Amino acid sequence: MGSKIKTMEIKMNLIGEELTKIVGPENFSADNSLLEKYSRDYSLSPSGRPNYVVWPRNAEEISRILELANKYQIPVIPVSSRAHFYGATIPKQGGIIIDLSRHMNRILEVDELNRRVRIEAGVTWKHLVEELRKRGFRVIMPLLPHPERSVVTDFLEREVPTNTVYDYGEPLQGMEVVWPTGEIFRTGSASVPGYPDSPSRGANPTGPGIDFYRFLQGAQGTMGIVTWVNLKIEYLPKIDKVLFAPVTDLSYIIEFLYRILRLRIGQECLLLNNINLAIILSGSMNLDFEKLRSSLPPWTLVLVLSGLQRRPEEKIQYEEEALRNIVKNEFHEVQLSENLPGVLGAGKKLLQLLREPWPKETYWKHLYKGGCASVFFITKPVLAPKFISKTQEVAAKHGYLPEEIGMYIQPIEHNRACHLEFNFFYDPNDLDNVEKVRGLCRALYPILLNEGAFFTRPYGELAKLVYERAGSYASVLRRLKNIFDPNNIMNPGNLCF
Amino acid sequence: MPKRTVSLDVTNLENFVYDMSRCIKCKGCTWVDHIYMPGIKFSTRCPSATRYLFDSYGAYGKMRIGLALAEGRIQYNDNLLHILYACTLCGACDVGCKRNLDLEIELTLEALRVKAVKDGMAPLPQHRRVVQNIMAQHNSLGASPEKRRNWLPQEIEPSQKAEVLYFAGCSASYRNPEIAQATVKILDVAGVPFTLLEEEWCCGNILYSIGMIDEARKIAQRNIEEVRRKGAGILLTSCAECYRMWKVDYPKMLNIATADLGFKVLHLTEYVDELINKGLLKLTKPLSLRVTYHDACSLSRLSEPWIPWQGERGLWGVTSPPIPRRRGTNGVYEEPRRILQSIPGIEFVEMIRKRENAFCCGAGRGVKEAFPDFAAWAAEERLKEFKEVGAEVLVVACPWCKNNFSEVIKAKGEKIKVLDISEIIADSIATEVRGGK
Amino acid sequence: MAFPKEVYSILEDIVGREYISADPVICEGYRAGPAGYECGLGYERVMTRVPGCVVMPRTTEEVQKIVKVCNRYKIPYVPYSTGFYGARSHPHVENALLIDLKRMNDLEIDEKHLYAVVGPGVIYSQLQEEAMKRGMYTVIGGGGSQCSAIANMIGDGWSPLSHRIGLPHRRILGAELVLPDGELLRLGSLALQDDPFWGEGIGPDLRGLLRGYTGHRGFLGIVTKMAIKLLPFQPEKLEPTGVSPNTALMLPEKRVKWINFTMPSFESIKRAMYEIAKAEIGAAVTRVPLFWRIIARAGSKEEFWELWSKENEETVNAFFVLRVLLIGFTSEKQLEYEERVLMDIVKELGGEPRRTRPTDESWFKNADSAGMWLMCGGYVSVDYVIETIEHATAQCKNFAELKRSYTPPLMPDYADPGWFQCFELGHQGYSEFLIYWDPDEDTTRVDHFYLETAKENIRKRFYTALLGSHQPLYLTGPAYGPNYHKWLLKIKKEFDPNFVCHPPFPLSHDFFVEQAEWMKPLKDWGSPNLNEILPKEIAALMKTSSQSKEK
Repeated sequence: MGSKIKTMEIKMNLIGEELTKIVGPENFSADNSLLEKYSRDYSLSPSGRPNYVVWPRNAEEISRILELANKYQIPVIPVSSRAHFYGATIPKQGGIIIDLSRHMNRILEVDELNRRVRIEAGVTWKHLVEELRKRGFRVIMPLLPHPERSVVTDFLEREVPTNTVYDYGEPLQGMEVVWPTGEIFRTGSASVPGYPDSPSRGANPTGPGIDFYRFLQGAQGTMGIVTWVNLKIEYLPKIDKVLFAPVTDLSYIIEFLYRILRLRIGQECLLLNNINLAIILSGSMNLDFEKLRSSLPPWTLVLVLSGLQRRPEEKIQYEEEALRNIVKNEFHEVQLSENLPGVLGAGKKLLQLLREPWPKETYWKHLYKGGCASVFFITKPVLAPKFISKTQEVAAKHGYLPEEIGMYIQPIEHNRACHLEFNFFYDPNDLDNVEKVRGLCRALYPILLNEGAFFTRPYGELAKLVYERAGSYASVLRRLKNIFDPNNIMNPGNLCF
Repeated sequence: MPKRTVSLDVTNLENFVYDMSRCIKCKGCTWVDHIYMPGIKFSTRCPSATRYLFDSYGAYGKMRIGLALAEGRIQYNDNLLHILYACTLCGACDVGCKRNLDLEIELTLEALRVKAVKDGMAPLPQHRRVVQNIMAQHNSLGASPEKRRNWLPQEIEPSQKAEVLYFAGCSASYRNPEIAQATVKILDVAGVPFTLLEEEWCCGNILYSIGMIDEARKIAQRNIEEVRRKGAGILLTSCAECYRMWKVDYPKMLNIATADLGFKVLHLTEYVDELINKGLLKLTKPLSLRVTYHDACSLSRLSEPWIPWQGERGLWGVTSPPIPRRRGTNGVYEEPRRILQSIPGIEFVEMIRKRENAFCCGAGRGVKEAFPDFAAWAAEERLKEFKEVGAEVLVVACPWCKNNFSEVIKAKGEKIKVLDISEIIADSIATEVRGGK
Repeated sequence: MAFPKEVYSILEDIVGREYISADPVICEGYRAGPAGYECGLGYERVMTRVPGCVVMPRTTEEVQKIVKVCNRYKIPYVPYSTGFYGARSHPHVENALLIDLKRMNDLEIDEKHLYAVVGPGVIYSQLQEEAMKRGMYTVIGGGGSQCSAIANMIGDGWSPLSHRIGLPHRRILGAELVLPDGELLRLGSLALQDDPFWGEGIGPDLRGLLRGYTGHRGFLGIVTKMAIKLLPFQPEKLEPTGVSPNTALMLPEKRVKWINFTMPSFESIKRAMYEIAKAEIGAAVTRVPLFWRIIARAGSKEEFWELWSKENEETVNAFFVLRVLLIGFTSEKQLEYEERVLMDIVKELGGEPRRTRPTDESWFKNADSAGMWLMCGGYVSVDYVIETIEHATAQCKNFAELKRSYTPPLMPDYADPGWFQCFELGHQGYSEFLIYWDPDEDTTRVDHFYLETAKENIRKRFYTALLGSHQPLYLTGPAYGPNYHKWLLKIKKEFDPNFVCHPPFPLSHDFFVEQAEWMKPLKDWGSPNLNEILPKEIAALMKTSSQSKEK
């Protein structure tokens, strides 16, 4: 027994030494207090410590680290952000944290002509949005991402954009990945020999041969380490008009959205319930949260009309006219206005919020009680009210007041589907509170699944439940992963791995 | 590759090796023209391909099988003969292909049947009886030649000599006297003198259609001579199959142009349309009917005049002189529609698959005789469409269509009325029969 | 060697007597060539075979059973929807089972949620009409209305209408894939429920197995059902008019309008594309090569050649026409707005609008794609390029240059840089390089040219659609990725250990180069013994065709 432990110790020291050789001593750590930081995040996931942390400088170093990990069969956990919400980067079986955020955080190219940007995985929302804004550009964004989160990770994890009007949805193009075996590989048109010294700019995400990048999406770092990505960027509109509509009848407004989004009206379009909107506005504008949450209607529709690069007023004009006609002829009860009652300057503020990461120190989801557990999935918009009442019912049973649930409906691509999100707020220092919310989530998952919720991003313990039901999918996933990661060293314990 | 001498002569399959070897399997021959595609239902216009499903039954399959036959790579068997003959030669494939390409699909199919006969593999046993009927009794039904004129109403007398020669055809003579009667009534009311052939023989449609071209040619020669002797300027018929034979296949067999027959070939609908234009016929009696019209293949897709051709084919497949293409564009589509829409009280709705996209009734070119199940199936398919458009009366322009639809309607106990357009026209003429000279 | 009787009777029990045949006549009807896409070339002559048996299943369960039987008895099988893709959709080994999917032709539409659920037997033509009846439309790939929607969605799938939605793989929602071993993989929301409304995976997205930039020609299983995104259209009907061959859709001009522009230069066309994309207007933006204009005008092959022979390099390279489609999705006012913006742009670049017919003969229903074979009888696209507009246009110009030395036997097109268009609102450009030849002529150099383009792409570092199954895997593999071929072969081995699903894909072009005498001199890359990659039962079926000696 003693010799086993000794062997283990020798092995671990050896690994530490070899890692140091690869990244240099200043980019290696086995310091306990640092390891502790990586062992937990904002989620309810149980903690798990790594054995080492390394900060590689380039793909070649990552490659060598992975070769090492395979040799010693020790897990690796890729990290690109500085804030984590879903437990995906908490080591489940120890291992090496490969943190790209320190060095691999450069904006490599901004190609204005082709509306493309190439960024390393460590580039944060704050960094990217600022840089693009300077040049008059933007990237379609999810709602209020954490400023220190990796843009690459958020897009790989399929965070849903607030913009519903682009048919092509996702902005991902060609990228570079280091496979778990250590091979450096480029996907899409970035796969050409010599890229980026090539006529190919990496603008096509598909191929070569098969759509490798699909395997990296939603993978929670289990299929490979993405080092840089090409993204589509768009011009910032020249003019914007933010419209609000108070909502008491959710089904009614959803029908309205089916009607108008199909006509390709608007840019950003979303529904927030009073809690979430109150948190967001009070947090960013220093307003009184309680007052706001009681004065806001149950839901608010936010719709942004934009004039683009040419004749911008005319675009807003024809969209407004179409909106007016529909309201007049078909949806009289919808009251669209540039004002949000009780909140002066809400339009301007919201526009800013929709085009930038969260601006404050404390993340908006943590403003209310300090902690937040989010349950979200994809469904058909018409089904949202059903899921909402179900969730409220389950919440009540678990001692969570239904009127305390934060809710968010994000229409997708002309409202063909939507992302539906429930936020359960809790005080992380109140263990009872934490348990209550954990229990609530656990009870909710199977109920929502039974009702047809489609969980495309199952984090933490939800994954087990979902994959049990999607047995054939899980089995093929495992077979596929086994090809790229025969030693199962790439972030094991996530998803169905 | 050196230039090749080619002609549109169906007695030599070699003439169509190019066509068989250039089929790209786009299946434009089977699908309704995509511009007119009605959706997931009623999306095809080839009865054979739709019924039998294997690619081998569509023109793409037949071209490949035909090529294998021409190159000696394949043997005849029951399936091959079924593929060749369970097909009404409706021309949908020919027209469908010619929307985009320059291949002679219909002629190839005809040539394959001629070859099958030459190789002793056809006519099929199922064809034997009708062949015998035509050869022995000069009509496809095997009825008594003496009774051929029995349909003629007493009060109408044909002239000995006239510009218009009415060719009743076997079906109208023996099975559908109502069509022949309606036709002569129309002529009578319009004051158009007409004559008949003393001894009217079958036009030979089935013989030609199944590939017995030598026999069919003999009949053609005889029939043409008879008409020329009569000195008629117009051969008028109310049967689409007869129409096509006289106008297209007779000249084809004799290697002359339609224009060189020595007389015009007209279908009743063309003639009536002309009469109406000239003010010689007025359709004034209102008929309160909701009707739709079924385009007969031989009157529509297949009816453009024949132009014989021979020449050379060289690089890129370019022919010189250029082959004059018959693409079905100038079929008799509008005349029947104009007529129907001019009758007071008639509410006209189109079938979903109309004009060159029509779905064949399934009866023609030897199919009813050899494969009655297939013919019934095709009619049933077309009747589904009829029901979909919500009409009361199905108007046709050919006794073959009329009989095939009627039989299926009767067998299924459906309450659908089928009328030949001659009957509708005759009903709408206010004046009574005047009596002939 | 006939198709094994024992297997035949098992299959007959699965589908029913009426839907199976091993009759050589029936099977002959399924031959790939001699004409068709990529037919009338060495590849088709050497590599394709007539199937040993044809079977027509109706349900996914039947397909699974068939595939499992094939695995047990080592029968190679080929999934076949319409067969229009030519040589590569047909068997490449002796006595294969061809699984003709045409009976799987169910179609359902969820109008509210903008998608259709189809079987492989449904063609775009049917889908487009059903979509348009309900105020929606789909993008019909360049292959044409006659293509199976599923086959095209996992194969190609681009057209000028891709201006807004771009890459076709995004249009795939939930789907069913019968894996090569017969197990059923349900993708997207089908993994958890019966409504295929959403396509993303649970976690990693296994739709990645369905295709790459272009398809892998069916060597990783059979898609038996797919939900496809439809796009919101506008409410007016596009009325079909005309009689064959001149049929066209009449456009409701206040809502749907094509406008042709004469531009002063090739460069100005590119600039216009960038500007139109930047303004985020338009529903299609494409350059019209002179060649296509002539095809549209010609009423026959002979007329085409008469007109074409009057053109030359000068006229071709002085013909700069830009064709833009405007759709008033939101309202008539939207179309008016976009037209004003478009005119601003064209004016800035020195262009002029031309008289344009208010009809669509091509792209909405894509009824005339078969016309690509009219001129010469032989046609293949030698590359489809989706990359930046710059890359797309540079690559085509490059091909045009390369093509000179292969003309003849290629059809003279006077170095026309071909068709290209704006894609994904200018984030990409799309260009396609088409070649034509007379199949009766010596086509050796066409086969050579085809392969040469792959080498040229590697040399010049261009991206290319023709990877995977289209070109020798051991040539392109090491260059792209690098080594994408290793992963492809590992995936193939994992999911099709018996190699029964459409052998020898993805190595079909590698085999072609090995087997055809006239191709061997072109092989200047390394590869293992190909026969050793295949299991011995399948390798035994890879008989060299007698055609491999002839040109």
